[in-house]
This record gives sequence, C-alpha cells and structure tokens, in this order.
Amino acid sequence: MSIFPENISTYGNEIDKLFWLIMLFVGIAFVISLFVLIYPLLRYSQKASPKAQYITGEKKKHFKWVVIALALLLGSDFIILYSEHDAWGQIESAPAKVDVKVGIIARQWNWIFVYPGPDGILNTSDDVIVDEQNSSLHVPINKNIAFELRSQDVIHSFFLANARFKQDVLPGRTVVRWFNLTKEGKYDISCTQICGILHSQMRNFVVVESEDKYKQYIDSLYKANGRAITMK
Amino acid sequence: MDATLHKQSFWNKYIFSTDHKVIGMQYIIMGIIMAGVGGFLAYVFRYNLAYAKASIPLFGHLSAQQYNAFVTCHGMIMVFWVGMPVLLSGLGNLLIPLMIGTDDMAFPTVNMLSFWIFFLSAVVLLSSFFVPGGAFGGGWTMYPPFSAGGYLNHNPEFFKALFSGTALMILAVALELVAMLMGGINFLVTTINKRAKGMTPFRIPVVIWFINIASVIFMFSVGPLVAGAFMLLFDNILGTGFYDPARGGDPMLWEHLFWFFGHPEVYVLLLPALGVLAEILPVFARKPLFAYKPIIYLALVSAVLSVLVWAHHQFVAGIDPRMATFFSIGTILISIPFAGIFLSFMATLWGGSIRFTVPMMWVLGFIGLFLIGGLTGLFLGSNTFDIYAHDTYFVVAHFHYTLFPDIFFGFFAAVYYWFPKFTGKTLNSALGKLHFWATFFFFNGTWFVLFFNGLAGQHRRINDYSDFSLVMKEPYMTFEKVATVSAILLILSQFIFLYNLFTSLAKAKKGVKNPWEAATLEWQAASPPPHGNFETYPVVYRGPYEYSLPDANEDYLPQSVPSSPENTITNNDYEHKSSTAPIAAH
Amino acid sequence: MSTNHQQHLSLPINKVPEGRLGMWILIGGELVIFGGLIAMYLQFRLRYPQWSEMAAHTSTAIGALNTVVLLCSSFTIVKAHEAAGRLDVHKTLMWMSCTVAGGLMFLVDKSIEYYREISEGFTFTSPALQQAGDHVDSLFWSFYYIMTGLHGTHVLVGMIVMITIMFQIRKGKNLHRVELAGMYWHMVDLIWIFLFPLLYIAK
Repeated sequence: MSIFPENISTYGNEIDKLFWLIMLFVGIAFVISLFVLIYPLLRYSQKASPKAQYITGEKKKHFKWVVIALALLLGSDFIILYSEHDAWGQIESAPAKVDVKVGIIARQWNWIFVYPGPDGILNTSDDVIVDEQNSSLHVPINKNIAFELRSQDVIHSFFLANARFKQDVLPGRTVVRWFNLTKEGKYDISCTQICGILHSQMRNFVVVESEDKYKQYIDSLYKANGRAITMK
Repeated sequence: MDATLHKQSFWNKYIFSTDHKVIGMQYIIMGIIMAGVGGFLAYVFRYNLAYAKASIPLFGHLSAQQYNAFVTCHGMIMVFWVGMPVLLSGLGNLLIPLMIGTDDMAFPTVNMLSFWIFFLSAVVLLSSFFVPGGAFGGGWTMYPPFSAGGYLNHNPEFFKALFSGTALMILAVALELVAMLMGGINFLVTTINKRAKGMTPFRIPVVIWFINIASVIFMFSVGPLVAGAFMLLFDNILGTGFYDPARGGDPMLWEHLFWFFGHPEVYVLLLPALGVLAEILPVFARKPLFAYKPIIYLALVSAVLSVLVWAHHQFVAGIDPRMATFFSIGTILISIPFAGIFLSFMATLWGGSIRFTVPMMWVLGFIGLFLIGGLTGLFLGSNTFDIYAHDTYFVVAHFHYTLFPDIFFGFFAAVYYWFPKFTGKTLNSALGKLHFWATFFFFNGTWFVLFFNGLAGQHRRINDYSDFSLVMKEPYMTFEKVATVSAILLILSQFIFLYNLFTSLAKAKKGVKNPWEAATLEWQAASPPPHGNFETYPVVYRGPYEYSLPDANEDYLPQSVPSSPENTITNNDYEHKSSTAPIAAH
Repeated sequence: MSTNHQQHLSLPINKVPEGRLGMWILIGGELVIFGGLIAMYLQFRLRYPQWSEMAAHTSTAIGALNTVVLLCSSFTIVKAHEAAGRLDVHKTLMWMSCTVAGGLMFLVDKSIEYYREISEGFTFTSPALQQAGDHVDSLFWSFYYIMTGLHGTHVLVGMIVMITIMFQIRKGKNLHRVELAGMYWHMVDLIWIFLFPLLYIAK
C-alpha cells in the first residue's frame, strides 16, 4: 500500500520522487542524530561515567564534528534544491502546447467549470458554465489541459490530490496552470483554503475519459446550454 | 532589608506588583489557564474528527461554524496566549534579573502594565466566543477577504461589526502584541544595562541571550503586521477596501504582512525554549555547554535568516514562481544554523556524567521530538513538494512536532528545573517522570499517524470528511481515532502535573538554595528570592557553565565565586575580562 | 548592603542611561510600523498612477505649513532640553509649552484640512467615489487617512505625555524626561518628513 494516493498526472511522479529523495536524507540524518542523542545516555550516564570531561567545544578536534555534520547537511540541502528546480518550473508554467483550455472558478461553496464553447476560446460569449454542487470537470486523457483559476469571492484553493496539484485562488487575480492526466476515472477535487461555513462541502470531481467519450460529453453539454458569461 | 523599606499591600504585592517574579508568575498562570482553553477546544474538534456528527461529551453537537471557530481559536490561543506568555514573557521576567544578578527590570511599572494589557487581550479574545456569530472561523491566519467581513462588506454597521468575532479577535491580537512589545523593551534594556559586574557579553547565560534575540526579532518583524491589522480592522468596521480587489486592494498583501511576522514568530517562540535546554544540559551532564560562543552566533544568523523565508507559507498562493525559488532556498538553508545549535546541545552529552532528573528527561524528549519536527520541515521547504503537502495534515503534524516540544516540553523542563528556586519547595520526581512518559507517548500517538493522513491527501480545517474518498478509508479512519484517543489521554496526563504542582505547593518550604548544584547566578539567591533578589549583589568571575574543571577541587564553579580569595573583585575595582575561562590561571 | 545596592544600581554596566535606551528601542519599533505602512502605500501608488488625480486634492499649503510647524516644534523641544540641562525650570516649561502649542497647531491645521476633504466627499471609504465607478481611487483616501490619522494620534499622545512631564517639572522633578520626550517628538517629526512628500508633493 502506497503512502500516497494513486498518481495520475505526468508531473506527479516528480513530486513523489522528490519526496523519497528528501526522505533519504532525512532518514539518514534522523538515524545518525538519534545515535548521537541516545548513545551518550548509555555510555556517559552517571553510573558509567562518574566524572565528566571538561570539553568546551573550543578545540578544533571537538568542534570539527559539528562542522562536518553541517557540511553534509549543506550538501544534502543543495541536492534537494537542485532536484526540485525543474519540476517547479514545469508545474508553475503552462506548457508550450496546450490541447484543452478550461476555466475554473471558485466560489462559496462549489467549483464552477467553464468550457470555451464552440469557438474554442475562453472568456467569450459562447462559453458554457457548469455551476452545480458535486459537478465534474471532464477532461480527455493524456492531453495538456490548461486552466484559468479565479475566485468570485474569498480565497479558495484548488487541490487535485491524485494529480499532486494545488493552487490557491485569490479574488482579483487569474492564475493559469495545467496538468496532463494519464488514467481514466473520477477523482476528488477539494478546497484547501478555509473559505467559510461550508468549506467542507466544496467537493467536486475531475472525470478523465477517452477522447471520444470526452467529445460526446462536450457536444451534449453545448447542446443543452449555450449561455454567455462576463468574467470578473 | 528591602522588605521593610517597601511594605506592600495585598494589591501591590500580588495583583499590581511591579516585582518581575510576580509578573512572571502571572504570565505563566495565564498561559496555563489559556492552555486549558486551547486544549479543550482541541479535544472538542478532535472528537468530532474521529466520530463525525456524534454528540461530544462535555460539549454536545459541534456545528460547522463552531468547528471552524474552534480550530481557529485553538491556533491563535496556543501561539499568542500560551507560547508567548509562558516562554517569552514568563521565563523572561522570571529569569533575566536573577540570572544577570540584579534586583528587577529596568522599567518595573511598564512591566506591570504589560501584563495587565495582556490580561485584557485574553479577555477580549474569550469574549469573541459569546458575541452574535461566534468567534472568527477563518483560520488563525485570518486571510481576507473572508476576514475582512466578506467581500460584500461595503457599509458595515459600525457597532455590529466592532462587536463581531472577527473584529474582537483582531483587537485581542493587537493588544497582545502591544503587551509583548512593552515587555521586549524591558528585557533588552535590562540585559544591556543592569548586568552584574564582571558579566561581559560572553558570560551571559544562553537563555538570556536567546530571550533577548527573540525580543529583537519580535519587535522588528511585528511592525508591518500592526499596520496591516489596523487596515483589516477598518475593512471590517468601517468598510474600507485595503484587502478588497474590487476597490484596488489586495488580499495577497495581508498574506505577506502576516507571514513576514508569522515566520519569525515561530523562532521567537523557539529561542527561549532552546535557551532552557542550554541551561539544563550542562547542569545534568556536569559538563560545559558545547560551543557556547558558536551557539550564540548561530542563533544570530538564524535570527537574520528568519526574516528572509516567510513566503514559504505562500508557495501555492500565486506568488511569482521565481520569488518562490528564492524563499525555498532560504527555508532549506535555515536548517543549517538550527542543526548546528542542536548538534552542539547533543555534543554536550558526550563525555559527560549524565543524571536523569526530570528536567533532563524533558530536555532529551524535546530534542528527540524536535528532530522529527525540524526534519519534516525540509519536505515543506521544498516548493515543489509543498505543492502537494500544503494545507494537508502533513503540515499539521510538522508544526505540532515543532511547536508542542517547543512550548510544552520546553515549559515543563523549565518548571521542573526552576520550581525549587521560585518556591523553595520540590516537585515529586516520580510523578514528574510519569508525567513525562505519558506526555511523550501520547503526543506521538496523536500526531505521528497524522503525517500519513496528510500524505494520503487529507486536507486541513474540514469538519466532516464524509465526501472525500481519499480519507474515508482505512487505515486513515482508524488513524483519526488513534489520534483522538491519544489526544484525550495526552490532555488527561497533564492533570498528573497539576496534581503534582498543587500538592508540592501545599508542602512546607525547605528553601534549598541550589539543589541541582548549578553554576548560574540565580542559584545564589535565596529560594524563593525576596523582593530585590540578592542579599549582596554578585560579581561575576567566569562563564556560566564551568562544570568538572580538571584542576578544581569542586565539581563546579559558580559564576559568582572567586577561585581564590586574592582574586575577589569588589564593586570598587573592576576589570574587563572577555574570556569564559576562570580568571585564575592553573 | 544598601550601599552596595545603591552603587550597583547607579553604575549601569554600559553607562547608557536606561530611559534613552528604552526610547531608542521604542522608536525603532514605531519606525517599523510606519515604515511598513509607507512601503505599502508606495507599492500601491506605483500600481495605480491614477492616484495622482486624487493626490491633487490634498492641500500642499496646509501640508507645508504643518511641516514648518513640526520642524519649529522640534527646535523648541531641543531648547527645552538645553534648559533642562541647566536645571532652569522656568525656561524648560516655556520651551515645552511652545512645543505643545506647535503640536496643537498641527492638529488644528489637520482638522481644517480633514474638514475640507470630507466635505468634498473624500472620506475613509469615499462611497461617492466608489459609486462613480472610480473603484481604485477610494483606496488612496483610505491610505491617506490611516497614515495621517495614525501619525496625528502619535502627535496627540506626544502632547499629552509632554503636558504630564511639565506638571512633574513644575515640582522640580524628572527633568531628565525632557530629553526622552524630545526624542519621541523628533521621531514624530521624522515620520511626517516622509509622509509630506508622499502625500502632498508627489502629484
């Protein structure tokens, strides 16, 4: 059993790998530190060592151990910082090729999904809005999905755990992010910034489906709707 | 002598006292009472998390609004009304004059006022539970627009808005910050000016250094937040738009203001407790503190770095990704100076002769648990991993593994250590050890499992997880129950301490001056110290951690005892000595 | 033993008088509060160049007058400190009264200014502006009032403290506190020197 939920995004792996890399260093540091803490409790207890030694740490031969440990820690720090950099750049900026664009609007207390409508451009009058409790955002599998995140009222936060993706949404600004989801299914979206009394109920879904199923969904959605919206 | 000169009424002696020891006790007692409130709130919402929709014993049904208010107030209370008064104001007041060898603080009246303003702030906060709408429920971080009265707040009814949970919480925090600012001025001036003769800077005990560094960090990081808090208050009660994007304001501004203070604040809370560790370790290892001077320098470096890492709380908030990289670097690197301090603490044990007294056990427990807390911070300092972990229970477990050892283990270490000095009595050590083991065990039971819940994707500040499939499965549901049951037992374990405290206080005073055979100045005063502290004001001859000197006959040399009669310095002839070694050459 | 106590207490190890040290630290804290506020204002001002239209409505004349008034009162408190050093109670009180009068004049000027601005519809929240659709402009006035208001409150507090000290000096006590009041007053003046160009000149 994995400690993480199932990963279904292309960059999710990077995040999981980063976790284990950090865990490697943290694990080693923890074991060594526990030894440094616990061994003297046995070896230098009052019974085992009736007279203490007068060590102030001013001598190089004693202090060098602290310096060595800090150097090792510094080295691990640099490795972590180096390793995280690529994935960070990848996740925080939309890729060159965007296959699908959607709008995601947060509000008290559900997620609103905006599809670009027949013209394929967001923020035009033929956009279709799905604004319901527990609704689903449909996306095709294995495509770069870019989305514009906005909030209608207070600060919310869009979290798709299975994609390892999270982004806060502040009113007054639009944030563009993306993901590429690799497995079909229905996955929970939660709100990870406390936004009021029904914050716990802000649960919608992302439905990842094959390109055909996705097209069917979009066609039937557009047919049933066709309403315009002006973005704030 | 001083007792006859200043004959004090009951009010002057116990209530409006300007004696630093009384004020220190007042802060600590308030902190303990507020810890009870904060702990009760935690009990209620933890019960709700394990048994959703159940009726909670000693409380009843918990609504969503109450849940939000309780988690918010639990956090606020524990940081501002438990951690600060107990570790900074309480220990600062009790220890500074005694450990630097003087009679009282530089500004005793200001000191007394600072406590009563603090008391008022606690009253204002608690009153926020009883106004219409209840206490504020938007997280201790108080992010607007939610905390600005909502995005539609254009024409608030002034008095209704003023007496709302939100405005009262802002006012309570503002008052608390003012009280702490007043205290900080006192600590700094007293430490700079009123030290005993011979106490050069590198003979000052570490805890005094750290409390002062903490005061400086506090005073210079809180300013922008004070301004920002006024702005938030006016958004609430007057309908201004400082944080309203529809009126040109910016919610992100508050985030920066809050965290610019909020991050250094955790080091303000940490440093005094680290100071406590630094005092206790040498005494019970019978060895000097390892690398005393480097520890001071490392703490100063941490203090500077601490104001450069705040936006790691905002990695996913929508800040410029390049800015986030800068903050990730700082956050990961700040592990270095703290690691240096902890390694030096642990090195103090090597080659020692360790006594497992109750204070020592709390110190060792602190170090072991804080290790986990600090190392898990590395995961969160990585901006990339934080995308996943932010606002999950991983964060909650991380900060409890740092803050709980800091505030509670640090406090208990200090109490068990200095109790004989301030009361002249002793706490029962068997009960003390039981208290320690129970707290240690149940603390881990409560929060260790929550790391896993966080990694599984469980997000924070949710009163009912029944909609979330990632959480509504095993082992996470069982982990919730484990955490709740452990939390309840953790709270109950504290009654062992309270029982020990009250029964020990009821016993007769023995007045042993220096039961632990410690070298710092406070142990030269009577137990408890009288008003004015010292019969004769001490003169300092050496550093604070001279234990097991190889050539000395005694096991330790107190700071104020000359190594031979010829080397005695009176108040008339005074020499500067900057080394920490004893004056007499051997 | 009491001699030891006396000597010990009158010989601070660093020989920096405690009141002055405390006041410097207080001033440091206050500067960070106002510094933060000013930094925020600057950030918004750069973001919204249209604020210069709003800034045009502040009265440069009254602002300049207030600047002169505060500078003069900083001078008079220095003279008061000089007199206190000579233990000249009469002169000290005279110069301090001038300083308090300066503070009072500042506040009177400010009230006239506020009255004018409020009657033009520029209030803390400026609802009229918001209704007119200039949603960003009202924020300028929110900053204007909070900055000048907080500063004005500090002027008022300074005046009250000075009057209190004056009562003590009349009895010949606590002359050393004139210097501390002076330091505080210089801080208030310094903050105004920053506010004046930001709010009154940059148009």
